[in-house]
Amino acid sequence: MTPAPPIPSMTPRQRVLAALGRRPVDRTPVANPTSIATVELMDLADAPFPDANRKPELMARLAATGYTELGFDSIMPVFTIIQESSALGCKIQWEQKDNWPTVRMHEPIFREPEDIRVPENWMEHPDTECVLEAIRILRREFGGEVAIIGKTMGPWSLCYHCFGVEPFLLMSLDDPEKTRQCLENLKEMTVAFGIAQAEAGADAVTLPDHATGDLVSAEYYGRYLKDLHKEFAERIPIPIILHICGRTVDRMPYIAETGMAAFHYDSKNDPAESMAVVNGRIGLVGNINNPETLFARTPEDVRREVYKNLDAGVNLIAPECAIPLQTSIENLKEIPLAVQDWHREHPRAPVDGETATGQEGGNVRAR
Amino acid sequence: MSELGDIASDFIRQEIEEYIARPDERERITNTFRRASERMQAIAAALIDGDHPTVDRLTREALEAGVGALEVMDFGLIAGMSIVGVKFRENFIYVPEVLACARAMKAGMAHISPILSASGIEPLGKVIMGTVKGDLHDIGKNLCIMMLRGSGFEVIDLGVDTSPDKFIAAVEQHNASIVGMSALLTTTMPNMGKTIEAFIDADLRDQVKIMVGGAPVTQDFADDMGADGYGKDAVACVTLAKQLLGVAA
Repeated sequence: MTPAPPIPSMTPRQRVLAALGRRPVDRTPVANPTSIATVELMDLADAPFPDANRKPELMARLAATGYTELGFDSIMPVFTIIQESSALGCKIQWEQKDNWPTVRMHEPIFREPEDIRVPENWMEHPDTECVLEAIRILRREFGGEVAIIGKTMGPWSLCYHCFGVEPFLLMSLDDPEKTRQCLENLKEMTVAFGIAQAEAGADAVTLPDHATGDLVSAEYYGRYLKDLHKEFAERIPIPIILHICGRTVDRMPYIAETGMAAFHYDSKNDPAESMAVVNGRIGLVGNINNPETLFARTPEDVRREVYKNLDAGVNLIAPECAIPLQTSIENLKEIPLAVQDWHREHPRAPVDGETATGQEGGNVRAR
Repeated sequence: MSELGDIASDFIRQEIEEYIARPDERERITNTFRRASERMQAIAAALIDGDHPTVDRLTREALEAGVGALEVMDFGLIAGMSIVGVKFRENFIYVPEVLACARAMKAGMAHISPILSASGIEPLGKVIMGTVKGDLHDIGKNLCIMMLRGSGFEVIDLGVDTSPDKFIAAVEQHNASIVGMSALLTTTMPNMGKTIEAFIDADLRDQVKIMVGGAPVTQDFADDMGADGYGKDAVACVTLAKQLLGVAA
């Protein structure tokens, strides 16, 4: 095999975008498709919750610490999953600095598909406009230096928020047609917010749509979401990182067919097994464990998990989901440090190009 | 096989054959259904199928025909739930299907509960359940409650966002022997420990057993918080509750 030529040093943004496109990178990027905000970072940036979820300047300032303080290759300003639901009229419990805001799902706003009313100017709602403005601020401040990742919620998750988890899951069993109607009625929000964030300056968007194995079967994903997710990949003009928590390896074959750039996967799934299942058809981002490792253990434990992902060829290294707000900065900083060390220890890391077959190459990493 | 052959319902036999693999569980469930009448097996089958109108009707008809409320509960509803629990634990079914079974269970219990209350039959134990302060997620807790009730426990559901004071007040009011706490968020998990500390401060810690669960919760975390037990899912929650009270599983 002819060794691939060395890749020149990349900016963080170039690195993330190349990895999302499954093109060669100078080293594996460290990304945060979901929140890495912590109480320590809030203090450092003087941008505490809940205001950092509602005021664009604070949102941007807190998000930037992921790059400036922690050394990640991306900035992600949407710390929660409530912005669109707030614009739809869901009640939000905003909490304080030490907890995430949450939708009051036990007070659902819809019961039937025909109840769904998307306000005409919902993107001008303060909680959605805040996201767009924070992205604009970050793009102005950082130019093309670092990747900016936005977030647009998928219709399955929006249905949890608007109908309540139990009523919606029962509807999905009792009346598949109604369920599809709900998803159809909400999907334009997902597309429109994704496009708006791209126009505001986002390089990619995370798309959480929690059809997790902890709640529903893989067959459900195939039945209700695969085609919708394909549609999102076609209509949103920037790379999409699908996020689903929990056990998902059984539905990765479907997810790999959506045409999305990457799948942000949870530590309940083994990296090597997951890579084998997706087989180069979609990138993987993840999957450093939050509650046990990042929150409760040491940098050495973090490093071990980073190495396990790199050994498996995972495309972008990231915490598995929004990290606990009390996570130590020390543990978070260990992620990029470990990635850099792994690459120093593996100067001829395998290059698998577009085929993900693992052939030898130069100082390049392309999965 | 010959033991399974003693079960009249084809549906129940097939369910056991297809889904119940552990020898101890298979023996226990098979023995239960061998002792169950055809009428009870039909109730269990409808429950496993998530068919709440049929469970409602068959339960009412059984009681009207003179079948005892306890027999309907033990050999119809709880026996059916024992298969549902195993299928859920082993990922043969998921939450929507379990919710449908719970709805069917509820339809049957609506006829049974008033009779049991009036006759003074004691539950296995009283359990206070709630999602901890700051956490609004309740589906895991609700599944546990459904399985606990389906196993003969009386459960007082405090809902979501439950403060330590509310847990304590409920234990005092209901003289409960177990507290179950749930959390989905890593930010709210520490509130389990705070609630346990509040029980210590209130001098009530020795009077209750405390169990915890939720997606991010682990056995290590439960130990660190000073809980008496951790259950990884709704089936484990029932087993744990029985262990904590010294009741045979």
